Amino acid sequence: MQNRILKKRLIGCSLFLMLLLSIPAYAGAPLSAVENTVNRVLDVLRDPKLKGPTAKPAKTEKLRVIYKDMFDEMEFSRRTLTRNWNKFTPEQRREFVDLFEQVLEKTYLDRILEYSNEKIVFYKETMIGEDKAEIQSKVIASSKEVPIYYRMILKNGKWKVYDVVVENVSLVQNYRTQFNEILAGGTPEQLLETLRKKVKTH
Amino acid sequence: MKVNLFILVLVIFFFAAVGFPGCPAPDAACAQTPEMGDGQVTGDGQWGRGDRLWAMGDGKSQDPVHAESPSAGEDVPARKDMKPSGRSQDAFQDEYKDEGQDYDDEPFADERVTIADPIEPFNRLMHRFNDRLYFWLLKPVAEGYKEAVPEPARISVKNFYYHLLFPIRFVNCVLQADLTGAGSEAGRFAINTVWGVGGLLDPSSNQGIELPKQNTDFGQTLGMYGVGHGFYIVWPFLGPSSPRDSVDIAGEYVLDPLSYFTPWYTSLGKRPLKMINNASLSLGDYEAVIEAAIDPYIAIRNGYIQYRMKEVQARRAKSLFFRNRKNAAPEAADPPPAN
Repeated sequence: MQNRILKKRLIGCSLFLMLLLSIPAYAGAPLSAVENTVNRVLDVLRDPKLKGPTAKPAKTEKLRVIYKDMFDEMEFSRRTLTRNWNKFTPEQRREFVDLFEQVLEKTYLDRILEYSNEKIVFYKETMIGEDKAEIQSKVIASSKEVPIYYRMILKNGKWKVYDVVVENVSLVQNYRTQFNEILAGGTPEQLLETLRKKVKTH
Repeated sequence: MKVNLFILVLVIFFFAAVGFPGCPAPDAACAQTPEMGDGQVTGDGQWGRGDRLWAMGDGKSQDPVHAESPSAGEDVPARKDMKPSGRSQDAFQDEYKDEGQDYDDEPFADERVTIADPIEPFNRLMHRFNDRLYFWLLKPVAEGYKEAVPEPARISVKNFYYHLLFPIRFVNCVLQADLTGAGSEAGRFAINTVWGVGGLLDPSSNQGIELPKQNTDFGQTLGMYGVGHGFYIVWPFLGPSSPRDSVDIAGEYVLDPLSYFTPWYTSLGKRPLKMINNASLSLGDYEAVIEAAIDPYIAIRNGYIQYRMKEVQARRAKSLFFRNRKNAAPEAADPPPAN
């Protein structure tokens, strides 16, 4: 009898230990996810085979694959629209998500392609609950340092970025304010039209 | 013995059902690496610069994104099976139902800052003026200047202007009861004046000394003690501000050592050089902000207040008066939870 109780306790303890031990591995996941992705981007940018203007489309294509994997564009879109999401029909939502992606890609791709050996350091991971995390990083250029934080969400076992905070400005918040103002006085169709124009004129 | 076995089976079932806590995520994370090659280190141009008002600051991010998205309508059916990232048909059907209190993850709820904008028509006009000023005048001049002057020299000029405003930073550190910061600034001033050739170089930031810059001003000090912005103002030439933050325009004049030695109009000459020099170090940043924005005026207004709010929070976290209070700066105050 005595023996059994002891064994139970032993098992209980080891179970507890197992749980404890598994926590650190879990905590490192979002950070390594984002770090890996950024490193893959850098690999593409530094690839000697992809130098020169002719390689630009190939580079763009490769980068696109990586981003798609990294970002949760659905989460991003819904968070920027919040309640306004309900004003859109499912078809409008689909178009919105696509257009929004294109606007962002057009803007930032060129800047990413300008990359010239700045150093990026990932230095802190903060878990927010069980399925969210904020990863802090900074880009160190010759004339200054820019803090960039990635906010991530765990979905289907995969960490995806849903917001980026650059120099203390949250992109989701920033777009949310813009969409709120635009939709306060306008219809979803008008917003979509603005986005369509934006995508075309680039 | 039997009990043992039973518990073991239970444990296995438990983990099978719940999932091994350590596994799913790391797997997912690492799984990506091999397919593309792995890399290291990092860097990136576009965020790399940035300066002054956040707005000119680096192009926020990469949001990359992808656009293989042929525009919606055409390929609706195809989309279903594609499902690149859990973007299934359902996701588009789902209504938004106040998920997680309006998507404000608790720790970030304070980011939802707003500012009154009673003089919006004037501000929009000034916004347009500054925008044209940048694209028609400042940018072309800065590009020429960039060609003519090598980067290290331009960084020195920037250091020099930064160095000159030491009194503002020092006084504000003291007013904020941030003695470490005040000490650090005083040390930087002494070291950079003597060893940094009058502030052209920044040896204080080198390894071994590492006195951090205290980028602070009167607006932050007032904000720390609870003074609100009031409302939004866009000044011609100077850009986004508020009555509170405009105190620094006066402060800069009063506490800038050069303004005592030289007639007032030289400071008019000084500012353009400073503007051009800074612009030359952050070309492309403002453009990225404008291009990414759907309504650039609102994007900059919101960026400005988010940025200032975080600065005030960061200063509170350093102040003797505030640093132990809750809400002073949630991020800085709490160590990250272990799990």
